[in-house]
Amino acid sequence: MSLEKKYAKEVKQILAKYPPEHKRSAVMPLLYLAQREEGYVNKESMKDIAKILDITETEVASIVGFYSLYHDEKAGKYRMQVCTDLPCALRGADEFLDKLCGNLGIKVGETTEDGLVTVEAVMCLAACDRAPMFQTQGPDGIKYHEYMTLDRTMELIEALKGGKE
Amino acid sequence: MSKQVTLTINGKQVTAPEGLTVADAAKLAGVDIPVFCHHPKLEPVGMCRMCLVEIGRPVFDRATGQPVMENGQPKIQFMPKLETACTNRVSEGMVVLTQSEKANDGQRGTVEFLLTSHPLDCPICDKGGECPLQNLTMEHGSGKSRFNYDEKQHLEKMVPLGELIYLDRERCIQCARCIRFQDEVAGEAVLGFDERGRHTQIISISEPGFDSVFSGNTTDICPVGALTTVDFRFGARPWELKAEASICSQCPVGCNTTLNTRREAKAGGEIVVKRVMPRQNEEVNEIWLCDKGRFAYHYTEGKERLTKPMVRKDEKLARASWDNATKTAAENFVANKKDFVVLASGRLSNEDLFNLKSLADTAGGEAILYSDMDGGELTQLVGVGAGTNLGTMGKGDAILVIASDLYEEAPIWWLRVKQAADRGATVIVANPRATKLDRFATYTIRYSYGDELKTINDFEKKSKISDAFTKAKNAVIFYGNEGLGVTGTSVLSSACANLLKETGHTGSANNGLIGVWQRANDQGAFEIGFRPVADLEKALKNKAVYIVGADPVGDDPNLAKALKNVKFVAVQDIRETATTEIADVVFPAQAFTERDGTLISGERRVQRFYAAVPAVGDSKPDYAITAMLAKQMGVILQGTSASVVFDILANSVEALNELTYDALAQVKEQWPLVGRNDVYYGGTTYDNTKGLGVQLIPLAQAGGAVKISKVRKEAALRPKDKELLAVPSNKLYDLGVTVQTAEFLEQRIGETSVAMHPTTAKKFEAAEGQVVKLSFDGVQAEAVVKFDETIGTGVVRIPRSMGIAIREPVVAKVQVKAAAGKAK
Ligand code: SF4
Ligand code: SF4
Ligand code: FES
Ligand code: FES
Repeated sequence: MSLEKKYAKEVKQILAKYPPEHKRSAVMPLLYLAQREEGYVNKESMKDIAKILDITETEVASIVGFYSLYHDEKAGKYRMQVCTDLPCALRGADEFLDKLCGNLGIKVGETTEDGLVTVEAVMCLAACDRAPMFQTQGPDGIKYHEYMTLDRTMELIEALKGGKE
Repeated sequence: MSKQVTLTINGKQVTAPEGLTVADAAKLAGVDIPVFCHHPKLEPVGMCRMCLVEIGRPVFDRATGQPVMENGQPKIQFMPKLETACTNRVSEGMVVLTQSEKANDGQRGTVEFLLTSHPLDCPICDKGGECPLQNLTMEHGSGKSRFNYDEKQHLEKMVPLGELIYLDRERCIQCARCIRFQDEVAGEAVLGFDERGRHTQIISISEPGFDSVFSGNTTDICPVGALTTVDFRFGARPWELKAEASICSQCPVGCNTTLNTRREAKAGGEIVVKRVMPRQNEEVNEIWLCDKGRFAYHYTEGKERLTKPMVRKDEKLARASWDNATKTAAENFVANKKDFVVLASGRLSNEDLFNLKSLADTAGGEAILYSDMDGGELTQLVGVGAGTNLGTMGKGDAILVIASDLYEEAPIWWLRVKQAADRGATVIVANPRATKLDRFATYTIRYSYGDELKTINDFEKKSKISDAFTKAKNAVIFYGNEGLGVTGTSVLSSACANLLKETGHTGSANNGLIGVWQRANDQGAFEIGFRPVADLEKALKNKAVYIVGADPVGDDPNLAKALKNVKFVAVQDIRETATTEIADVVFPAQAFTERDGTLISGERRVQRFYAAVPAVGDSKPDYAITAMLAKQMGVILQGTSASVVFDILANSVEALNELTYDALAQVKEQWPLVGRNDVYYGGTTYDNTKGLGVQLIPLAQAGGAVKISKVRKEAALRPKDKELLAVPSNKLYDLGVTVQTAEFLEQRIGETSVAMHPTTAKKFEAAEGQVVKLSFDGVQAEAVVKFDETIGTGVVRIPRSMGIAIREPVVAKVQVKAAAGKAK
């Protein structure tokens, strides 16, 4: 079912917040809406949004690609987004990421076998002074984890297994 | 002219129009500031930092508003940091340093950063030799990088963005020129950035990929070898290429092109065209081309090219000498003097058409234009005035497009009309279905097929739309042949001409009528005196026919039948066609790439094209063949060179009286300055050194009395039950002789489909994608049904030149084929 049909009321509410000639700005809330169910925006939804807003699918995809809070692929229960941008890299983010992946037995972008954690490398999350850092995105929202070490990260993952963050 | 400001660049005092960016002002003054993301045709974004310069501005006393003086000079305050020349606008008294130590240092730094992750595979890169990054690295780069080369990131090198354009991810420097071109200029934002930072990459997820007919232009303005065309990639090194000026032969816009050629082993040591590039003509195509113009030139090549004259002997065509072939044809034409007919198309140059018309006139024959569209007599009277430049139309002006899908029929006009809309022009799009121009239109009128005349007549009634048109400072009408044939377009063109006359929109620049013709030189054919006929079958029956540059047998079974019952057929073309197969005599003609000549665009601009490659086999230019044939018939015509024929033509065709062949080759400086050594500024488009052409003066502008004959309404066609009104429509990539042979265009040409409103389809129990049988007027055909909710019911829209012969609206029987499947 198209997004417009499935969430008719929400789509209308969202569009009502923008003047018709600037309706393309509604792309952000619409993407959240599209992402709500599966945790990522699928191709069909991108098409739907493009149609609703009279922009191209590529423009929609480009926005999904830019923000680390939108996703175009299915992931584990939690996304662990490690910042590897320059300031973090200077504080060893690359090494941290390598080791973390090694410990979990996955590559960047992959999900652990139990479907719990997907590790991603992202650009600056505006916590440069507290690196190494990552953010988790999961059922309980977005959380920052700063000054991280491998041990503390593994502890966190254990806790997540238990359903607590 | 806009206000000028005075500033100093590198110690030299210069003036520049207010509002210009520092980068552009410097360019104007002959100072090259290195740029990557900046392009004079795009909005500034300042995202690459290549153009860093020192900028100082005069200091003003807050209290008095007067400049503060220092040692008798205005005090100049420099910003503590370097600024981007591409985002700062010039201002009075500004001081710019583009080559100071500080500026150089900044520029060097930017190049060094860019190269930290550039593969530098210039030796195998298509852009190598004409690459801004390569050039600027040589000029501004430091010899050594302080970065670790082993850590360069490596990315995919062959990413098809569509089947026509390939992306090399490693080479992209993320300047966004391509994205911005598609968004700002083409109005089709089908490219975008994915991800961020080091991971940023160009994507296109449209269907088909990179869904725009302007895609090739991005390869010209991409400042690196990241974007390449499927046609040219790994095709040649730029420095091996010779360049010759030409004119696109695909549609009536008349885009100025450059043919890049080289001798190559793959072609058996022959000199061949390697690519078609835009050549700047700001009044025609600016620095752009559509993809059809860029890619469809391959029809001039291949083994189907005719190389030798042929004469039918014992039922078979056999090679013959030029003398023998022309003599045979001449004897037959002389013997059937009363029945001599010349059938020629707007694929030919003015020189060819002029000789053909002269021959027909002197020998007492008839000259028929092979076209489904009439109205060229009217464009001679009230065509757009000399000085017309769509690029100057904007606020206060109006453009009406009727019965034409400009995107499919004349893409660069589409682009220019869209840009006029961007500048505030009132664009009125009147069509029987939705077209891509609707999005940019101020008003959209949707009429039913057959109501074209009524639509124009409605402009006489008072309405918002008619008001906007009538009161416009300048107004242009584009009319086409969507849903219409010769008779329909004749009626429509008169109505449009009348409307222009009544509203005072004739006889001056940016006012008048433009025919969206089917072929590049239909306008020229009209000027020279060729006319289409409504009933071509009848006109050919039992005649002795000389067919030039047309394939009636391949196009239409009815014409094929008509040509079976003729006294004699001589066919002159560049390729083997279904028509050459039935000919009694065949003359091999040279392609436009092999000879000189002139064409007249829909805006009535006479333009020259030049020979770029040697002729194939024994082929000759059309005008020369006609002169040889004429001689055998006892008629003396010139055939030595295009310029000689042009001079005679200019003398005898009144509208061209003032013209000389040389005048067509004149150029003047155009802005922006492109195509010089600094490919980084305008891209790889060519500067115009071989002629901007000359626009003809329509009678209305010359002060002649303009009489437009009364418009007659035709009786409407009435389909019965089980029948539909079949209407012709145009498609950019079709199966016409001039497109078909470019293999990589196959996907864009697609299968033959016809469009119906879902309700209509339902009535016939046809689902989308199902095959239907159509029969009308001696034509039997099958095609896949596509739904179009924007057209009226009771109508089936059939594309021209896609295997179903349709020249004008007809009543058609429709039957659904039992099982769904592919069309034959
Ligand atoms: S592909 Fe070329 S034009 Fe597009 S962003 Fe990359 S370098 Fe610039
Ligand atoms: S718009 Fe017409 S003349 Fe221009 S390049 Fe395209 S086909 Fe050729
Ligand atoms: S660089 Fe990592 S948070 Fe800013
Ligand atoms: S920042 Fe000025 S050219 Fe790119």
